[in-house]
Amino acid sequence: MVDYVAPRAARARRRRERELEVRGFVRRLDWTLLLAVATLVGMGLWAIDGITRFDIEGDSNYYVVRQAAYAALGTVGLLVATVVDPDLYRRHKRAVYGLTIGLIVAVALLGAVERGSRRWIDLGFFRFQPSEFGKLLLILFLAALLADRTRRLREARTVLTTIGLALVPIILVFLQPDIGTALVYVSATAAVLFVAGVRWTHLAALGTTALVATVSILWLLPAADVHVLKEYQTERLTAFTNPDDDPGGATYNANQSLTAVGSGGVSGRGVLGASQTRLDYLPEHHTDFAFASFAEQRGFVGAALLLGLYLLVVWRGLRIVTRARDAFSAIVAGGIVGAFLFQVFVNVGMTMGIAPITGIPLPFVSVGGSALITNLTAVGVLLAICARGQSE
Amino acid sequence: MSPRTANRRIRLLLLFLVAVFSATLVRAVWLQGVKAQSLSRMALDQHREQVTIPARRGTIYDRTGLQLAIGEQATTVYADPKQVRDPEAVARAAARVFRLDAAKLERALGDRSRRFVYVRRKADPVRAADLKRQKLPGLGFYSEERRIYPLGTVAAHVLGFAGVDNEGVAGLERSLEPVLKGRPGRETIVKDPFGRPIDFISSVEERKGDDVILTLDHTLQANAETVLRETVWRWRAKAATAIVLDPRTGGVLAMAVAPGLDANRYDRASLDRQRMRAVTDTYEPGSTFKLVTVAGALSERIVTPKTAFTLPYSIQVADRRIHDSHARATEQMSVARIFSRSSNVGTVTLAQKLGQTRLARWISRFGFGRRTGIDYPGEEVGIVLPPERWSGSTIGTVPIGQGIAVTPIQMASAYAAIANRGVFVRPHVVDHVAGARRPRVERRRIVSRTVAAQLVALLQNVVAEGTGELAAVPGYKVAGKTGTAQKPDRFGGYARRYVASFVGFVPASSPRLVVLVMVDEPQGAIWGGVVAAPAFQQIARFGLHYLEIPPDAPTG
Repeated sequence: MVDYVAPRAARARRRRERELEVRGFVRRLDWTLLLAVATLVGMGLWAIDGITRFDIEGDSNYYVVRQAAYAALGTVGLLVATVVDPDLYRRHKRAVYGLTIGLIVAVALLGAVERGSRRWIDLGFFRFQPSEFGKLLLILFLAALLADRTRRLREARTVLTTIGLALVPIILVFLQPDIGTALVYVSATAAVLFVAGVRWTHLAALGTTALVATVSILWLLPAADVHVLKEYQTERLTAFTNPDDDPGGATYNANQSLTAVGSGGVSGRGVLGASQTRLDYLPEHHTDFAFASFAEQRGFVGAALLLGLYLLVVWRGLRIVTRARDAFSAIVAGGIVGAFLFQVFVNVGMTMGIAPITGIPLPFVSVGGSALITNLTAVGVLLAICARGQSE
Repeated sequence: MSPRTANRRIRLLLLFLVAVFSATLVRAVWLQGVKAQSLSRMALDQHREQVTIPARRGTIYDRTGLQLAIGEQATTVYADPKQVRDPEAVARAAARVFRLDAAKLERALGDRSRRFVYVRRKADPVRAADLKRQKLPGLGFYSEERRIYPLGTVAAHVLGFAGVDNEGVAGLERSLEPVLKGRPGRETIVKDPFGRPIDFISSVEERKGDDVILTLDHTLQANAETVLRETVWRWRAKAATAIVLDPRTGGVLAMAVAPGLDANRYDRASLDRQRMRAVTDTYEPGSTFKLVTVAGALSERIVTPKTAFTLPYSIQVADRRIHDSHARATEQMSVARIFSRSSNVGTVTLAQKLGQTRLARWISRFGFGRRTGIDYPGEEVGIVLPPERWSGSTIGTVPIGQGIAVTPIQMASAYAAIANRGVFVRPHVVDHVAGARRPRVERRRIVSRTVAAQLVALLQNVVAEGTGELAAVPGYKVAGKTGTAQKPDRFGGYARRYVASFVGFVPASSPRLVVLVMVDEPQGAIWGGVVAAPAFQQIARFGLHYLEIPPDAPTG
């Protein structure tokens, strides 16, 4: 009889243990972050509903329906990422890196050209933008690379290797051309290096190099008639420093964006009254300039609320960095949060004329499935790290 | 990496986060709080536009319903030099169509600092359409109303002129501006970023200007103008004026000036030629003014038409010697004869009997020295000395129409009052505004029916056996008076230049037409009875036949 009891009791005990484990896992999730992200996604859908109401004639819900579907897909991604142990990514870092490069090369081969750049692969039901997923993949790979070289972190060689490997996708994306995403990759790399604990002198040297490169590309080289960027790109990037030049041309978007934000006032002009968005004076109002459009419709109140949610998400993310169980998890969390921070504030800053105009979408708001799914999945990774991290 | 390092770096990131968040929030407050109003204004300005829809100008009709001034659709052609790709080609094409100076146009079109240049305002729509078909980039077209005077020279002076902006600048076009103008409409349109209208928010509909019907008759007017033109030519005169009035209503049937002008090219005529002399010019009337003196003497019962005087050829009045126009011996003359022979000595004698005060009152009663109130702009008052400023010799000059200045319309109205059995009617050109009632015209009696009848008889005598024989119209009794006045020179004396005039009415038994003709500086002859009376006769005869007025003195 005992023989029969023992395995049963063991099974029960194991079941009880599993239950406890799952319960603990669920309890250790960052529910504040999850709630903030859920609110952000909801607010994003609400924003898109208003912003795109008059964009497709005869189908006022065209974009919001699609965006909601992507949000659902993203939620699946979030759940999967939460359940998967992040260490899996570290162990298969070569595959991760290969996937990153492979996707971007695939775009170069199969992608559809739109407005002079090749960024998407048309899957019929979905326009797949690999470089968005690349953001997360690159962070995972770089974090793994650095985590596996913890002891040699302070060596310049490690830093240079990291940079060298990061530059491959950065340059590929830059050549699409997609400067905005390339810059996000750069910011993610910087965040990863920073959080990993690379020496300050190395960071300073990198920063100086980046600065010199930027100044050269935007101002010095064009003066010497060497053009790394296309002329319109340079114009757009530098336009915010003197917005009154040529309001019909290079600074048109910037001025229309400022006008949109300002005319929103405190409480916004509503969906019907927001003429900048409704009459299409503000270009790209459902993607790059979504914040300006949202600020026009919902005013300072709406804008401040949205910014507050971003602040909350970033703060919770940083908190997770400090609680990560190992270096890899911490670096991944740091990279995700850093890239997120960069995207939010460069995008918002560009709509308000305090940052250059680069094609960076606003996380959780701008219309775009790849970005939304990536961002939600990244949040899933954060949650996974949080749940497996040190308890308080 | 030690946890301590990591934590320090996270804290730095947190600090960075707070910094960018604050900067962003401050920027949002600046844009949405401080700058909100000006930025809203910008948003509004760039997508809303107020458009004025011009109102069509009212039409001016003559008495018979003929259009004298109408609005016609024209096309204005403009250019946006910034959008003109080839100024030379565009200038050449436009210059060919509108016969313009291509070089000048090319310069204007080449000036890229400007966004709007008129190529041709109010062009012929057909020619403009020709140009439009060539689809030249940078050219724009819009409809505008152009004022057209179908009769050209006929009544040009009366009508005046509406300028390029369809705004009355002279004549009736100016005085009737509030009536003819109408009210422009307004529309607020919403534009998309390419300037295409997508919505109309509010609109105030335009209201067409009211039509105006004049008392003028284009046939009589055209005839009067022809007669004047011939008279000016015949006597090599400087100018001539004619007025035809309906004495019963005060309505002006014709008001002509020679030399004339084309109303469609009004603004190209000299200012001197643009003057409506019948209303805006004064002249020394001479003998035609004797009517006032005689009317006063008769009304005051100092004399009757038959009262006789023994009159020498000349008399001394204060420092002046007054004599008749033609030498004669001292003779007996009745009042009727004084009038028909136009005796200066006789008239002054009557005036002396009337006295200065009463004479002045009668002058005023006939309407001299103040405006008749005709509804034509720019009416002159004339110059009539008040009695307290009369000198000793004034009683020897004013009664015979010297040392006094009147307008032709004042004189015509005074004679019209006699023709209208002693009742003065304010002269007017506008009969009524379409859709409105005919306004009441002020009337006032100035002489009794009896005196009026006596005066008509005296005036008939002038034509029958006096100085005005050339004014006679066969079959009709004609009443009238000649006038010949020397023009005052610049030095206060008189020059050897004259104004010859004739004013009268037909048929005398039941007057329908008052006609005044005044010829300025005729050469060869100076007498009203020779220069002006035939013109009067032509105008009166034509009017009688045209209006089918039955004869009152059948001959044979």
